[in-house]
This record gives sequence, structure tokens and C-alpha cells, in this order.
Amino acid sequence: MPRYVVERTFPEGLEIPADARGAMACLGIVERNADDGVTWIRSYVTGDRSKTFCVYDAPNPEAIRRTAGRNDLPVDRITEVRVLDPYFHF
Amino acid sequence: MTSTVPASGFELLERTAELDAFAAALAAVDETGRGKLALVRGEAGIGKTALVDSFTGSVHSARVLRAACEPLHTPSPLGPFLEIADAIGGELARVAAAGPQPYALTAALVRELASRPAVVLIEDIHWADEATLDVLRLLSRRLESVPALVVATYRDDELTRSHPLRALLGEFGPRALRVPVAALSPEAVAQLATESGVDPHVLYQRTNGNPFYVTEALAAGGDGVPETVRDAVLARATRLSEDARRLLDAVAVVPPHVERALLDGLVPNADAALDECTAVGMLRADAGRVGFRHELARIALEDALPPGARRTLHRAVLALLLDMPGDVDPARLAHHAEEAEDTESILRFAPEAAARAAAVGSHREAADQYALALRNGADVEPARRAGWLVLRALSCYVTDQSEETLESLRLAASIYHELGDEISEGETRERLCAYLWCPGYVEESRAAGLHAVALLEPHGPSRQLGAAYDQMAFLADQGSRPDEARLWRERLLETAIATEDLELEILSRAEGSEVAFAVALENGLIGLAGSIQQEVAGTPLWQRRYQAADASLRAGLAFHSIHGLELYRHYVLSWLALCALEQGRWDEAVDWADEVIRTPRASISPRITALTVVGVVRARRGDPDPWSPLDEAYDLAIPSGEARRIAPPSAARAEVAWLEGRDSEIAELTEAAWELAQARRDGGIMGALGVWRRRAGLPVEVVDGIDPHHALEIRGEYAAAAVRWAETGCPYEAALALVGTGEEEAQREAFDAFQRLGAAAAAERLRRSGVRGLPRGPRRTTRANPSNLTTREIEVLALLKEGLRNSEIAGRLVLSERTVHHHVSAILRKLDSGSRTEAVTRASALGIFA
Repeated sequence: MPRYVVERTFPEGLEIPADARGAMACLGIVERNADDGVTWIRSYVTGDRSKTFCVYDAPNPEAIRRTAGRNDLPVDRITEVRVLDPYFHF
Repeated sequence: MTSTVPASGFELLERTAELDAFAAALAAVDETGRGKLALVRGEAGIGKTALVDSFTGSVHSARVLRAACEPLHTPSPLGPFLEIADAIGGELARVAAAGPQPYALTAALVRELASRPAVVLIEDIHWADEATLDVLRLLSRRLESVPALVVATYRDDELTRSHPLRALLGEFGPRALRVPVAALSPEAVAQLATESGVDPHVLYQRTNGNPFYVTEALAAGGDGVPETVRDAVLARATRLSEDARRLLDAVAVVPPHVERALLDGLVPNADAALDECTAVGMLRADAGRVGFRHELARIALEDALPPGARRTLHRAVLALLLDMPGDVDPARLAHHAEEAEDTESILRFAPEAAARAAAVGSHREAADQYALALRNGADVEPARRAGWLVLRALSCYVTDQSEETLESLRLAASIYHELGDEISEGETRERLCAYLWCPGYVEESRAAGLHAVALLEPHGPSRQLGAAYDQMAFLADQGSRPDEARLWRERLLETAIATEDLELEILSRAEGSEVAFAVALENGLIGLAGSIQQEVAGTPLWQRRYQAADASLRAGLAFHSIHGLELYRHYVLSWLALCALEQGRWDEAVDWADEVIRTPRASISPRITALTVVGVVRARRGDPDPWSPLDEAYDLAIPSGEARRIAPPSAARAEVAWLEGRDSEIAELTEAAWELAQARRDGGIMGALGVWRRRAGLPVEVVDGIDPHHALEIRGEYAAAAVRWAETGCPYEAALALVGTGEEEAQREAFDAFQRLGAAAAAERLRRSGVRGLPRGPRRTTRANPSNLTTREIEVLALLKEGLRNSEIAGRLVLSERTVHHHVSAILRKLDSGSRTEAVTRASALGIFA
């Protein structure tokens, strides 16, 4: 299954509260992703929380956009990637 | 480690999560009144039956209807649903007894299930016949409107790539609840092994936690663990008396169970033997039938029978079944005949079984039965064999076994040729012509059609001759030869008049006529009606009348879905994708296309269209890998030699090259398609290709029949083209035309349009070309309303306020029910509400309806 980096911009800054509501929100996202075979691996957020780089495993870019729609998440760009570890070459 | 105690009293280990999932699903069905499908899968012996038994035993709030599919070589058509209909009685039983088509039975079943909540359990659907799978398919499409939890179990370790259940599972999509049943953990195995003297480590290693294997191994007694499941079962059997073992063998050859009365004729002292077998739990007897408690045990014993003994038993069973009063399913008789290697009986019962299966729509089974007859029919008169080949071909066609269809027809045609039967040969070649086009064998199709005409014409007007003319007309149309098509249609009309045949008359009417559709429907010609309906549905799309197209395509989809006309449905799905794409509704386009691609079928046209849509949308959005789907589409289309199939993926590839700034490649990418289109002077095809070639700087002349939108662009009148595209309702093409004007103001407007559509690639190309005044970065989403509801969601909310159901909302807004379902979920979430009424109340309070 291909891996993708999804770039998102949150003009008002991304807010995920660090409590039960936040946990529920994340769980909801995971469930809705599962419907389309999309797995959220990890996200990187900028300091001002206005932009994220999210790593996903998904069957195709359409699945990413579909689940993003259901989760009310913006999608700026989708790029297919492979893992490159510094240690791989040793 | 947790366990649950079901109503039947014995403990089920490690199945709490699964039982909870069922309970939750049933609760949701109870509450919302919307049905759900649950798919329980696992390897043989994993305990699926025990699991669903436990669940159904605990159900009190709904009625439970259950049936199982049978492991016959060719199962009886609609078996499990007939059982359920029998149990319910009433109208459903009446419909079932009349030998219904799957859609008719589904309709009756849905009516029955609408009355109150129910759990419908169908076990072992990997053994299901085609008709049963059809009902499941049709039922799943209508579950939203019935308060029923449909639970289907199957063995996932038996699904080969070509197994029909595979495709069906893909069609069920993400809404179905999937319940995989896992093997037992070492702890659970150890728990079962306590007090048995068996080493739990060895037991777990050998059995891998397979519950059936574990219980058989433990029941075999002793301290050791048999090497295989089969050994375990046989070990148990050897501990029984000789009479009991004979009985086990007899029962083993009659899957899945045998009538009690038959046993007396098969083994001595059947009563005592049966008591012994049921006492140790190897056999189960109820309602006058005797069977093994698990299919694995039956197979182990049947396999262990020496071939001679097996044949003898089957012969004995066959004789006894024939003696039985009443109607015995010919499929059963054919099965025993085959196992007994009784050729005469095979030839007697297999064709009968086939005819019966085909009559109720169990076409895969019909095809298999004909194949059985053919395998054993070397000495049968050729004409009869040819007849079976043709009937087999028809059944294979309906089940999308394209290669088998064509092979059977070719064989039949050559037999008729040898026999000098021109009429039969002509009819067979006409069918070949019809079936060769969809998978793309265009040249061969045309040859077969011409051959059919040559054979049939000397024998005067007939329906088959008319059908051949119709096929040739179709081929001419698809090959961009309108004059030739006209000639064929003239002959079709003459033949229709001469024969006064209703089907020909319908075919010869004006193409895509609503009246023709109605007449076909009235006369019960569902297949013909479906084919006309498909044409009618597509016509507004080719004319770019998008509102009408949206409506007609959805109506077409509904018609084909309800009647199980999968082939036409596939075409309509691909056109829905195209319709959405051209209106700028790319998410929707991709959803439709995905449904086509997910279901592999022999017809290439829908797949070409769907792949093109997916590739083009990816490219337009700047998403990864647009070329794989486009290349596949192109490769599928090229061998057909038809401009109509080749042009769309060609034009798409040209667009993608342009978006990527590789204008110089457009000439090569469109060369083949362009030459074909030019050679045929097919204006309808040349438009899109011409536009891209012109953009690449190649000379293009405008010919008759080119789409006026494209004509304007080819002549360089981009501003006028932009206006026209916008009026027609194609925002992306309008924006591209604005870019073509070369004026900065227009290009800035185009840029905005690209941003709105999410056309990142086109926007990027504009930036690269140096247009000034373009904003940097992605568009900020405006939050105009307090709860962030989108326009569409507010529309849906307004209809919720009126109290409409999802299906009604879907009809009103011309959306799929699934899309409406997602909108409602989003609404509930954004308004933080637990129900539709709550959401409406909150929305009112927020002033959203003001």
C-alpha cells in the first residue's frame, strides 16, 4: 500500500484539545479512515499550528481525499513517498 | 481472557468482541430503523457457526431467520432464501414457490422485512449459488430502508481469485460490518485441554488454535494429538462399531445431510448405528435429516473412502433417491451420478438441473451443469451437444465469464457447420457477434456478424437475422461508419415488418426511445428494456444537457440495480462518473469511477471511462500517479481500433502532458487516435483531441459534427468558448478557455476558478507562465456560518427539517443515498447533536434557517 504525505493548511490554527474531547475527535478520524482503508501514521505540525504534514498509508489518493472530506480536513497537496532512513546505507 | 455464556449453555471462548459488535449493530438497526450487513469470515473450523448461534440465541428484540448454503457440487438455486420464505409463509412463500427471479424475490423479501426488526442469517455463502448471491447483492443495496441485520458467514480460505463471492464482497463496500473470527489463543487451547491428559503446547502447535481441530483432537482420546484434522476425525471414527462406521460413510457421501429414510436402504441396523453416532456427537439428526456436525468431518470421511466404495455408495444413493416419492432436485441427482461415474444418469439429470438453475437465475450453476453434461457427452448426438454449448454460453455470459462464453459459442458454431445446419450456425454466430464487442474483440465481432448474415439471409426474414442486422448497425456506429449503420438499420426495419416480431420492432424504432423502453417493459422483455434504458440514460450526457443527464443516469442506475442487470449498470456507473467530471464535481466523479474499477468485468468500455476519469482528476489536482490509470485505459482501448474508445483516454493523456508542461509530447500522444478519427471523419471524436493538438501548436481544421464548444477553441475564439462552456455548466473547461485568451484579466479569473475547483495543476501552470497578480499559497476557507456547515449541508438540513428520509433527500437533491448519509453524519457532528430532530432544533436556534 503506498504511503503519502498530505499537506494541510489551517488558517485559524489547528486545535486538538488534550483531553477526552480531543481523544474522541482523533478516534472518530481513525474510524472514518478505516472505512476507506486509510491509516493515519503520524502528523508533523508547524510551531504556529497553521500547517501540518500528515503521513498516511492509503490505497490511492482518492481514498485520502474522501476521508479528508468526511473528517472536515483540508487537503493542499498529496505526495507519494518512500521511507529513507539515514541508517539504511550503513 | 474473557468468555461468554450463550443461551445454549456451553461456553464460547474469546468471542466477546465479536458478540459485542453484533449486539451494537443490532441496537443501531433497532434505533435507526436502517438495516446493516455483517460479514463474518474465517477459515474452516474456526467456529463461525458457534459464534452466530451464540448471537442469535441472545436476540430477543427481533425475529431471527436463518438458513445455510449447501456444499453441493452445484447447489440448488436460491436454496437458503427458499428455506427462509418457507419458514415465514404468507406472500413471501407464495412468491418463492413461483420460481422467481432474484429481483422479484428480493422485492418480496424487502416488503416482508419492512414490518419489524429482524436478524437474517445466511451461513456459508462461499457455497452460495448465483441466484442467492444476486439476492444478497440486491438486498444489500436496499438495506438502508429495512430494519434488518443481515449476517452472512463465509470461509475466506476458500476464495480463489475467480470466486464470484470475491467480486460481491468488494461491492459491499465499507458500510458492511466485517467480523473476522480468529483462532484460539494458546491460553484458550490450554483451558480446553485441562483434564484431558493432552499436552497443551503440542495441541496448540498442531492445531494452531483452530477450534474444530482442537475439539476433534481432544475427542479422539488418548494422550497424543493427531497430525491433521483428517486424522483426528478418522481416529474418532475408528472407535465406533462397524455398523456405525458404515453409517458415517453413507452419510459422508450425501452432503450436507441425508434423509433418514434413505439410511435404511444404505446400511444395516441404521437405528442403532445412528444412536451411537449422535451420542458421541459425530452426527446430528433433526427434522428427519441426518448430517455431520461439521463439514470438515464429512469431507475427511468422504476422502478416506476408497474410490470403489465411494462409487458404490453414490450409486446406491442415486437409486434410492430415484425411488423416493415426490420431486427430487435434479442437481442432487446429477451430483451423485457424477460421483458414481454413471454417464447415462449424468446425461439424464445434468441438463435438467441446468435448465432449472437457469430458470431461477442461478447461471453459474447452470453453466457448470451443462459443462458436466458436455464432459460426459462425447457420444451424444452433435446437435444436442451444440445445444448444450449454446445454453452454457448464455449462462456464462450472464455471469461475466467472457472467455468461456466465446469458447462455447465457437465450438457450437463449428458443430453446426459440420452438420450443415445453416440456421443454427447463423444464430450462434449472431450471438458471438453480440458478445465479442464488449471485451474488445471488434474485428472478430464484425466477422462473426457478417458470417451470420450470410448464413441466415438465404432462409428469409427471421428474428435472428434481424438481431444480426441490429448488431452490425451497432458495430458500424461504434466504428464511426454512420452510412453503413444506416444501411443495416434499413434492413432491420424491413425484417421487423416482414416477421412482425415484437423484439425486432422495438429494436428498429428510433434509437434510445422512451416509447420503445415502455413497450419492452410492458411485454416483460426486461433485458431488452435494460439495454434501451441504458441508451436513453446516456443520450443527454452526449448532448451536454447535464441536469437531464443527472436525472436520467440516476434513473437508469436505479432500474438496472433493481433488476440485477449488472452489465448495463456498469456502463451507467461509468457515465455517471463522466457526467460528474464534466460538471466539475470531481469527488463524486471519482466515487462513481471507483465503483466501476472495484468490480472487475470483461467489458472494456466502462473500465476505460472510469480509469480515464480517475487519471484525469488526479492530474488536475496534482495528486500522485495519474499515468497508471490513464496508460491502462489507453492500452485497453487501442486493440479495439475504435476511435470512440481510443479518443477519450488519448485526450486525457494530452491534457496531463499539458498540465505537466510537456506540450511537445502531445503530438505523439494523440497521433494514433487523431489519425483514426480523421480517417473516419468522426467529428464527434475529433473535438477534444483537436483542442489539445491546437494548444500544442499543431494545425487543426474544423469539420462537421465537431462539438461547437471545441470548434470555437480550435478556431481560436477562446473568449466566446469560455462563455459557452460556462453556460453549459463545465467550469473547468471554461477556465481553460479563459487561459487560452492570453489576457491577464481573464487568466486571473481562470486562476480563481482553478482554486475553487481544486485544479492545482492548472493553477500552477498559470503561475509558471508568469501571470501577474496571482495570490500565493492555498485559498483560505471562509467560515461564514457559525457552525461551519457547507452550503450543501444547509440544503440537506432544510430537507431534514421537512422530515424527509435519506432516500427522499437523495431524490430531491439528485445525490446518492450514501452521499446524503455522509452529509447527515457531518451535520450531526458539527451541530453536536445525537439525532436529526436535535440537529434541526439547534440549527433553528442558531438562526440557520433565517
